[in-house]
Amino acid sequence: MPSEEDNLSALSPRDRQVLKEISEGQSNPKKIAEKLEIKEVSVISSAEGLAEKGLIRLDKKVEEVYALTEEGARYAEIGLPERRILEIAGADGVPISKIEDPSLKVGIGWLKKKSWAAVEAGKIKPTGEAPPGKDEEILEALHFQGQTGASAFDPEALKVLKSRGLVEPSTCKSWCFEITDAGRSFFRRSVEDSVTFRWDSISYINQITSDMIKNGNWGGKDVYYKGARHEVRPYDVTLTAERIYPGKMHPYQRLLSWMREIMLEMGFTEIKGEIVQPSYWNFDALFQPQDHPAREMQDTFYLDTKADIPDYATVKEMHERGGEVGSTGWGGTWDPEVARKEVLRTHTTSVTIKYLADHPNPPVKAFSIDRVYRREAIDPTHTPEFEQLEGVIMDENLSFANLLGVLKEFYAKMGFDEVRFRPGYFPYTEPSVEPEVYIEGLGWVELGGAGVFRREVTAPFGIDHPVLAWGLGVGRLAMLRLGLKDLRLLYQSDVGWLRDVPLSTRM
Amino acid sequence: MAEGCAPLHEDVIVVSVVRLYYEDLEEMVGASREVIMARIAMMGADIGKSNEEDYVDVEFFPDRPDLYSSEGVARALQGFLDIKVGLPEYQVHPGEVTLKVDSSVESVRPLIGCAVVKDLEFSDPAIESLMDLQEDLHWGLGRNRRKVAIGVHDISRVVPPFTYFAADPSFEFVPLDFDESLSMRDILKRHPKGIGYASILEGFDRYPLITDANGDVLSFPPIINGELTRVVDDTRDLFIDVTGTDPVVYKALNIVVTALAERGGRVESVQVKRPEGDLTFPDLSPARWKVEVEDANRLIGFNLSPEDLAICLERMRFGAQVQGRGLEVLVPPYRADIMHTWDIFEDAAKGYGYDKLVPTLPKTVTVGEPHPFEIRKSDLREIMVGLGYLETMPFTLTSEKTNFVKMRRSVQDQEVTRVLHPISELHTMVRTSILPSILEIFAINQHHPLPQRIFALGDVLARGKTRQDLAAASIHSGADFAEVRSVVDALFRELSIEPEIVASEDGAFLEGRRADLMVNGKKVGSFGEFHPQVLRSFGLDQPAVGLELRWDILWPSGRS
Repeated sequence: MPSEEDNLSALSPRDRQVLKEISEGQSNPKKIAEKLEIKEVSVISSAEGLAEKGLIRLDKKVEEVYALTEEGARYAEIGLPERRILEIAGADGVPISKIEDPSLKVGIGWLKKKSWAAVEAGKIKPTGEAPPGKDEEILEALHFQGQTGASAFDPEALKVLKSRGLVEPSTCKSWCFEITDAGRSFFRRSVEDSVTFRWDSISYINQITSDMIKNGNWGGKDVYYKGARHEVRPYDVTLTAERIYPGKMHPYQRLLSWMREIMLEMGFTEIKGEIVQPSYWNFDALFQPQDHPAREMQDTFYLDTKADIPDYATVKEMHERGGEVGSTGWGGTWDPEVARKEVLRTHTTSVTIKYLADHPNPPVKAFSIDRVYRREAIDPTHTPEFEQLEGVIMDENLSFANLLGVLKEFYAKMGFDEVRFRPGYFPYTEPSVEPEVYIEGLGWVELGGAGVFRREVTAPFGIDHPVLAWGLGVGRLAMLRLGLKDLRLLYQSDVGWLRDVPLSTRM
Repeated sequence: MAEGCAPLHEDVIVVSVVRLYYEDLEEMVGASREVIMARIAMMGADIGKSNEEDYVDVEFFPDRPDLYSSEGVARALQGFLDIKVGLPEYQVHPGEVTLKVDSSVESVRPLIGCAVVKDLEFSDPAIESLMDLQEDLHWGLGRNRRKVAIGVHDISRVVPPFTYFAADPSFEFVPLDFDESLSMRDILKRHPKGIGYASILEGFDRYPLITDANGDVLSFPPIINGELTRVVDDTRDLFIDVTGTDPVVYKALNIVVTALAERGGRVESVQVKRPEGDLTFPDLSPARWKVEVEDANRLIGFNLSPEDLAICLERMRFGAQVQGRGLEVLVPPYRADIMHTWDIFEDAAKGYGYDKLVPTLPKTVTVGEPHPFEIRKSDLREIMVGLGYLETMPFTLTSEKTNFVKMRRSVQDQEVTRVLHPISELHTMVRTSILPSILEIFAINQHHPLPQRIFALGDVLARGKTRQDLAAASIHSGADFAEVRSVVDALFRELSIEPEIVASEDGAFLEGRRADLMVNGKKVGSFGEFHPQVLRSFGLDQPAVGLELRWDILWPSGRS
């Protein structure tokens, strides 16, 4: 049990100032921070120390607060869809078919629910009754005053707004300080007994100045300076200091950089290409039939533009009749107009095949790590854009067993010593393989895909030697290595997370 | 796990899940479930997570529609487990049924293949398997019925000969699951299947129809069967029609027929009388391929004798006859994936066992070389981190609202790359600038202590071309022009470039506190104090400063 004497010396000047404010009845850290002109976090850290010593009581309150979502903020400005429809409808009403804007259409249901209008014979007829609702009041209040505690509002209306995605809750921590009896008596005694403890003791030096260094007469911790003896006030060196944060590379970028280094070490040349690709490079050059489901617009971001494509005669011939490599081809008619449609690349393979077409002579070892796009709704394990690593080797006399050898080496460098191979399927490789790595606690995890490019893919570009290819979704690896449950955190990062992930995290 | 991250198109492949009942499977294969489950993945399958007592869900790849039924899986497993190897033999008995194809179907749905399968005894798993097979084939091979549609009928309810013709949409019959007669036109409007597949018949003024000798309807392909020929518990004899627009129709027929033959059905032929000549279906004769053993050894990287290669292929249910250094390979009639000899060699590798192949590093010697952009990026990253900035990697998809409107920048139509069918109003285009994403990150991080200083390096798109940008911003109560000016100066000092700094018109920043960066007379970026309206539109209430720099044009050819 430390004596009060210890308590005293352990208090920094800031602690004492904070204790003084609290003893004078100040309970809000923000106000204390403003008065003392220090940071709120500093006040809280002092207060936590004081509370530990039993000098003050510290109450943490967690309150649910609400704020407008982006959509909510918009409606706060322009009005809810149902209100806007009402404005469009006027007193005479309006045919439903006139309400074309999808963001307005959602209002039709609410009009009925709120009995502001009836829908008869395909026409919206206002009932004439549409007083401002509690929901609208809340929107306005949140718009005006920003984040507000839930208790201020009608809970039912709030619930409805939340379900419509117009407001979102979060929790807000607030602090409340109060001096304890021990703190009060400690404080009183320390004032009375100014010999052992003086609040603003001039005999103590806090900050050493340049002048003191040059002109002071220094002993152990004493200095004779400007005609008086001073003591450098000792600190409790075990106390925590204010947190500071270094600038850092993104942890995901560290993983990507590390993988780049592995590829470079293994002798691969890094390649890059355009985000916007004609379907030709993204699909057709890879022998993806033009009616393949993967090409449909529900999986791929198409643009409304068409690109010029190179001389496509050999690709067309391969799709339709199988070229001169003894393939059956897909039959049907290959349409260059379909191949001209531009897409956001769905895989880095579009860049790889173009590079191989430009470099058809062996040996080629190339890799890329870049972002690709899929038409996916965002959820914890899906994002519409993500990174892929892809490597290819083209040389004389390469075999599928060589591919397995490269994969084994690559995964070993990544820290996965146990790798096994299962048959797989990818539209443009044959044979294909799905590598699995053993991860402690998870077992065998499928990580990437690989194969030998089909002859139907390579032959049209005059590539006459086997191309070994493999790819890897890096986001998935990042989730494993960083222990993330939510892929979105990589892209919409929490600054607290970025600050806290140690640089030494083993990737 | 994150499917969205899978490479090589894995997640957009249509994968079919087949439910295998252990008891049924054990009986068909002739092996215990333990033996089966230990090896099935090495045949080419993903085993689902289901821990059910009596069944397991297994995903097979889309190139193997013959594995979309438990019968097909059992057939493959028998080979793979060395229980029954080589080409499966199927007898086609001459049948009595004929089907006449009228030339009117030529434009709408020209191809049809048919078969009769008799003496079936349907157990529950068998019926479930047949229905699933039909659905999976519609989706996988049939491109959602457009290319291939399959009808299965109780043949005892109708009278051959049958006719396949294109009928007027006013023609009426009772469709499956209805108790009233509807015109074909109304079926497309009112029947769930009609609504679902009407688009396939869009633009045609006559619709395909199969009727019997009395004019009773078997099927309205590719939409719906007639109620009349519904398959029920005691159905024993089936008529199968497969219609479509591509010769893959005949593969689909073979897959269905051989699966039923595996269940003990007696297959009978159907005469299809077409204007261009008669054909007899089903054609269950194997396709013949010639392969060189040397080619297989070279591709796979093993060293097999012709006899050993034949054994590997027979294990995958091919027929194989040694002919010198080559093999004649007989491909089973249900295989739809053999386009090239390498497809056969992959099966040989599976038959050999992927786990028995010896991984061998290739001898290819090359020197690795980083892309010049990445070298630059790493320099820029080092400078920004040294200045105390945290790196972020925001999405490149954004909206016009965020990219332009909230930034007080006018929408520059010719610059913008919009996607045709956005999934959300937040992601309608690829960014032309990174700064908006950085302000968005500030917005979601307001509960963390200030100052916050972050940067991002990455792609932006302008006029459909990828560019390289660096953006950085700082937010705290004291953020001002002097701070960002110092950062800009430090950055360019480290890059050994002297930019010209001139007053800017960029609406994102406050007038009088904004500047453009010019290098060689060309604008490469801008910086300044964000306009309070910009800050407010992102929900921020603290001063912030920022800079954005297009750096790929700073150096000719991207190299120093």
